[in-house]
Amino acid sequence: MNKTSPSPTAILWLMLGLTLGTAPHFLHQPIWVSLVFLIALAWRCMNIYYGWPLPGKKHLLLRFVQLGIAGIAILALMFSYGTTIGRDAGVAMLTMMLGLKVVEIQSQRDFYVATFLGYFVVITNFFFSQSIPIVLLMFVVVTIMTACLISLNDPKHQLNERSVLKLSSQMLMQAIPVMLLLFVLFPRIAGPLWGLPQDAHTGTTGMDDTMTLGKISNLIQSDEIAFRVKFDGDLPPPSQRYWRGPVLWQTDGTTWKELDRNSQSPITPDIDFSGGEYSYEVTIEPHNDHWLFALDFPNRLPTNVNAHFTSDGQLRSNDAIKQRQQYQLSSQTNFQFNAPNEPLIKEALALPKDKHPQTIQLAQEWFLQDPNPQRYIQRVLQHFNQKSYYYSLTPPLLIGDSIDAFLFETRRGFCEHYAASFTVLMRAAGIPARVVTGYQGGEINPVNDFLVVRQRDAHAWTEVWLEDEGWLRVDPTAAVSSDRIELGIGDIMPAGMRSPFFITNSRQLISLWQNINNNWDAVNNAWNLWVLAYGPELQKNFLSSLGMKNPDWQKMAIWLAISISTVLLILSFTLLYQRKHPDPVVQLYRTFCLKLARFDLQPNTGEGPKDFAHRATSTLPHHKNDINTITQLYIDLHYGKQSAALTDLQTAIKLFQPQKAI
Amino acid sequence: MTVSSFSADVRSILDAVNSIIIGKRQVTKLALTCLLAKGHLLIEDLPGVGKTTLAHTLASTLGLGFQRIQFTSDMLPADILGVSVFDRDTSQFTFHPGPVFTQLILADEINRATPRTQSALLEAMEEQQVSIEGQTHPLPEPFFVIATQNPSHQIGTFPLPESQLDRFLMRIEIGYPDAEAERTLLLGDDRRQLLQDLQAVTSIDQLINLQQAVNDIHVAPALVDYVQNLLAYTRDSGLYHFGLSPRAGLALLRAAKAWALIDQRDHVDPEDVQAVFPSVVKHRLQPVSEQGSVDFIADLLAQVTIA
Repeated sequence: MNKTSPSPTAILWLMLGLTLGTAPHFLHQPIWVSLVFLIALAWRCMNIYYGWPLPGKKHLLLRFVQLGIAGIAILALMFSYGTTIGRDAGVAMLTMMLGLKVVEIQSQRDFYVATFLGYFVVITNFFFSQSIPIVLLMFVVVTIMTACLISLNDPKHQLNERSVLKLSSQMLMQAIPVMLLLFVLFPRIAGPLWGLPQDAHTGTTGMDDTMTLGKISNLIQSDEIAFRVKFDGDLPPPSQRYWRGPVLWQTDGTTWKELDRNSQSPITPDIDFSGGEYSYEVTIEPHNDHWLFALDFPNRLPTNVNAHFTSDGQLRSNDAIKQRQQYQLSSQTNFQFNAPNEPLIKEALALPKDKHPQTIQLAQEWFLQDPNPQRYIQRVLQHFNQKSYYYSLTPPLLIGDSIDAFLFETRRGFCEHYAASFTVLMRAAGIPARVVTGYQGGEINPVNDFLVVRQRDAHAWTEVWLEDEGWLRVDPTAAVSSDRIELGIGDIMPAGMRSPFFITNSRQLISLWQNINNNWDAVNNAWNLWVLAYGPELQKNFLSSLGMKNPDWQKMAIWLAISISTVLLILSFTLLYQRKHPDPVVQLYRTFCLKLARFDLQPNTGEGPKDFAHRATSTLPHHKNDINTITQLYIDLHYGKQSAALTDLQTAIKLFQPQKAI
Repeated sequence: MTVSSFSADVRSILDAVNSIIIGKRQVTKLALTCLLAKGHLLIEDLPGVGKTTLAHTLASTLGLGFQRIQFTSDMLPADILGVSVFDRDTSQFTFHPGPVFTQLILADEINRATPRTQSALLEAMEEQQVSIEGQTHPLPEPFFVIATQNPSHQIGTFPLPESQLDRFLMRIEIGYPDAEAERTLLLGDDRRQLLQDLQAVTSIDQLINLQQAVNDIHVAPALVDYVQNLLAYTRDSGLYHFGLSPRAGLALLRAAKAWALIDQRDHVDPEDVQAVFPSVVKHRLQPVSEQGSVDFIADLLAQVTIA
């Protein structure tokens, strides 16, 4: 091993940093990618502890083994991702190659490369998640990486591990003011700085534009947040919290679909509003589609998002929601959604041919008995309510014609079963109806008063069209299980399903768990709203509130330059001051030493002035008197009791012109 | 009083000591420094290099009462401190002071005694008094302990723990004399005889004056910075198991002041600190790594900047 090769301790630290940095990727990478990485690190560990050979000039065969692993890894990547670029494949490639790089670290240069790649790994984590735990973990990783760089530049091992980590965290602490300034003042541009690859947005859960019986109940399993709402003023009562999403018209008997989007012109639907107004701000999590959920019908378009209404009253964003977004809306308690045009009526009555014979027969039978639409609706709801229909999160499998099987045989189902069969019952009786999906309910977080709507609040209901009243919301699920609507899904699920304390029924533990959850969600929400959402809009508002008029990028750049220089100046002055305020005596003595530096005479670290003078006079014996006088004056001034005159030292040093002996 | 007024005293002490201890000017100067700084001295070296002679010479030269205690493994604390004995005539306990009640004690081969006995002496050193059966007996003033110990790897030794080593201001080694000095020694008169003939060159009052003068030596802020740099380096560099304590810092400064006084200066130079540094620090500092520990003190001094 040559002198410049990094120490085993430094390599172990580097491996720790890299492992922590790539650990979050293990969760979404194929397991074999993580294995290649870990095996490579284990190889290096075995080398450090047990002296296993490493690939290199000595062990050419191992070099081929290493190259072979790299080749196979790339092929496997091609096979599993179809590419080696893009977010997922790229990160997987980076992880494996980083592991193999660690195996071959021999020189300082290799170590630097691996460390800088480690910093890059930190960035790749933010392609996947920008949550607080990840950010904290990445702070740790950056600290370790910086510590690695420090220990590499400390070849004599004058610092122990603790001091290296301390120094590294000190340096990062000093960088924090600059980081904050850059965060606040660096001009933000709309949209991401560079386009994320296409595959960056897969795997987000959320509503779908079709509904098949049994599909929503998958969402019920998910505690993930769909969106959060902050109301200005009062909240609507729980039974009124219907967050409207995709409207489904067309059915083939099992699947319900939206209207063909191309046939719909973006028009404002004909809605008359009255009654009290709720205004609120929604922060929606990315779901990779266009819906913007709103409380029933909003009475205007949101200002800060490009969006439009469809003719069936959906609020849709013009661009897919790929990032967390905020929009402000207001809705009113009373509204009348007026008559649709002829083709829409047709769509709202269409039923698939030769399907649901029993259901259609029942509908026609009842309608003939009493052809008043309102009373017919009541009768169907009563049927659900009084006959043995049950609300069940785990409905039995439907065999044959799903609607018939549900209505006449199993009678156990979930909101989508009731909404779908109710709609079929309406259409069969000639009442225009459509299925509306979205969310219902939401939980108030008492910590920050946000209403949190989760995927498990997903719901489906029906809207029917009556001649004088327009489109009316009818929720057949409410007829079966009013608790679902009044209390929300959270309260009707068994407590054990909602907390990790499956075994206990202790109320205290559960409420403690809820408390922690609420606080954590409030912290996350603040993080989302103030840190992650800090885009051009928020930056402009924030800077204006600080007194900057019409902030544009030039002003920001100027302020950025000014404030960063100020911070750096303050930092460097405090550091300098801590060192020593310049003392004229010391300055003069330095001048003296500089004059001697021409003769290769410099005081060594830890060499006192007398020892230095002794060394200097042996090199320049003809200047012995001058050197001794100056040194004595310096000692008297710097260490002595009664100060000699500073001017004496000044003149003596001025006159001191050392020459080489002739 | 200026520093120069003490120079005669200092020179006569050193001359007297050096007439007995030959070729060890650095060692005798350090030993005197230790006494002037009111510190106790630990001499660690092989038997026969003159540890006892050095202690004895110092006592005689300075005119101090002298007692020698030879430590053995069966020694008890009472053998050092003294005992209370029942006196039948007066029907009372009377205290018979032990050998510790004198001005200069030579504690010979201190590491041969059990830790219990060692600590009896070390407590007396720290407290300047002896407490026996509820009664406190003050020790005379001045009070010095010169302890000698054999290198601890020799058989039958109880090495002093670090906390007790700290009680000694300095630890010095004497070492073999060089050829010329040894020749003088071999050809010269019997040292024992010379010692008996040696007259005290200073009085106890003069010694106390000298110790007082050490207090008045000037220490510039820049020098305190240097001492602090040294302390900080031992604590932060991670090269030592424990950094130096504030007590070690005080000891270092005190010894440097005494050294400056002996060199007839009214202020302390960085070189004074460096001169006493190995003796004051080496027994208080334990390098982490075994290699390179031979001259770790010189390495340390070469790493710390002088302010």
